[in-house]
Amino acid sequence: MNYSSSEADPETTEPLRYLSKDEVAAIESELLKDYRFGQQQLVEIWGHACAVAITKAFPLSTLSKKQPTVLVICGPNQNGSVGLVCARHLRIFEYEPTIFYPKRSMESLHQDFTVQCEKMDIPFLSYLPTEVQLINDAYNLVIDAILGPDADHTDVKEPCASILVTLKQIKIPIASIDVPSGWDMDAASKEGINPDVLISLTAPKKCANRFSGKHFLAGRFLPYDIQKKYELNLPEFPGTDCLIEL
Amino acid sequence: NGQAGDVRGAELGRLSSRPSCSKEELDAIERELLDEYRFGLQQLVEMWGHACAVAVAKAFPLSSLNRRQPTLLVVCGLERNGVVGLACARHLRLFGYEPTIFYPKRSACALHRDFTVQCEKMDIPFLSYLPTEVQLINDAYNLVIDAILGPETDIKTVKEPYTGILATLKQVKIPTASVDMPSGWDVEEPREDGLQPEMLMSLSAPKKCAANFSGRHFVAGRFLPYDIQKKYDLNLPPFPSTDCLVQL
Repeated sequence: MNYSSSEADPETTEPLRYLSKDEVAAIESELLKDYRFGQQQLVEIWGHACAVAITKAFPLSTLSKKQPTVLVICGPNQNGSVGLVCARHLRIFEYEPTIFYPKRSMESLHQDFTVQCEKMDIPFLSYLPTEVQLINDAYNLVIDAILGPDADHTDVKEPCASILVTLKQIKIPIASIDVPSGWDMDAASKEGINPDVLISLTAPKKCANRFSGKHFLAGRFLPYDIQKKYELNLPEFPGTDCLIEL
Repeated sequence: NGQAGDVRGAELGRLSSRPSCSKEELDAIERELLDEYRFGLQQLVEMWGHACAVAVAKAFPLSSLNRRQPTLLVVCGLERNGVVGLACARHLRLFGYEPTIFYPKRSACALHRDFTVQCEKMDIPFLSYLPTEVQLINDAYNLVIDAILGPETDIKTVKEPYTGILATLKQVKIPTASVDMPSGWDVEEPREDGLQPEMLMSLSAPKKCAANFSGRHFVAGRFLPYDIQKKYDLNLPPFPSTDCLVQL
């Protein structure tokens, strides 16, 4: 008998686990220290998988604007770097991403990812229009790569705070990478933005439990031992796909 | 026969218009990617290894394998080719294959060590020696992935253990898929005494030696910036959809 994740009897399949902030940190630490994955490698895997998720959620042929424009907003930490890599792959998939990356990380890893985007001729905005209609008119969707699981949602500083205010007003779809910016990782928040699409990296976070939009799990690289240790119960990835729609 | 001549001429024309790179061009492209575009080696190896695994899965789907277990043998050399083989093996494990790695001479460099640990921690077995009895290899594995020697190797300086390994692999009856270029070839021309694989996975762009490769040929790895493609006249065919590889 062939069980797919959608047909499986709930009593015979373990449910997918949603991770807490501590578990996410523990897994990442193991990946880097014990499994010797590199950050550059992980960010590349995640960014690529996010781009594939975007093409699935918003195929080129379905975009309403004349040009396949996408606005990618990148925060200062890892979430932002994943956004940069995602933008680069979207460019290769023939979308036209524009990046807004107001607070640049000083880490060489993040700087390298920035150069890769710049050399792919991806435009970087120098400021985000506060006039929301300008964003609605120029882009088909926004990719929120601002704040990730490592952010303190109770202490969102500028410029991220203002960006979130603007994003809460836009009419075009938002796709969030890993965690909707502004949400408490361990609970769904009323404060943060409300994306249409969530692309969880590696495993979904607790806050996504009550997410009702389109939800992808992106990034297929977790060693089986880690999956078992943390009882992730990830569904099967189809074929050689690097993502699953949950 | 005029007709056969015309067909042959058209065939040659098609083959010669295939993109392929000389050693100088390869070196120049890599220098640009690393120095100007600031790609990192870890990043490139991960992308190539993943794309090679997808290519193997395309060419040898799990359902098509003859042996009861989806076993395959990945033979890794010391340089770039070898570390891409390690990343490829890891992804194949995730795709449900059962790779075994033979990596006789381990590189001391951190990049190789990290990719090796990733494989070891995925419980991928590492052979301590390669059987010289070829039938043992034919019986145990469905195919061999040749990740031994690449464009950076000077074919005239190849020593043991690789000469012995190549001698063994040339005799296996199961299919061989080579990473980037068949081991034992010169980067700019094929060599009879090198491996003759059924399948070739060129990394990013084909090498000159592959210009007339008659087996199944993929370009693996979809990340070359347009400017580089244009500058070196690569004329890569379009990749389908979001695929990271394209069959030539």
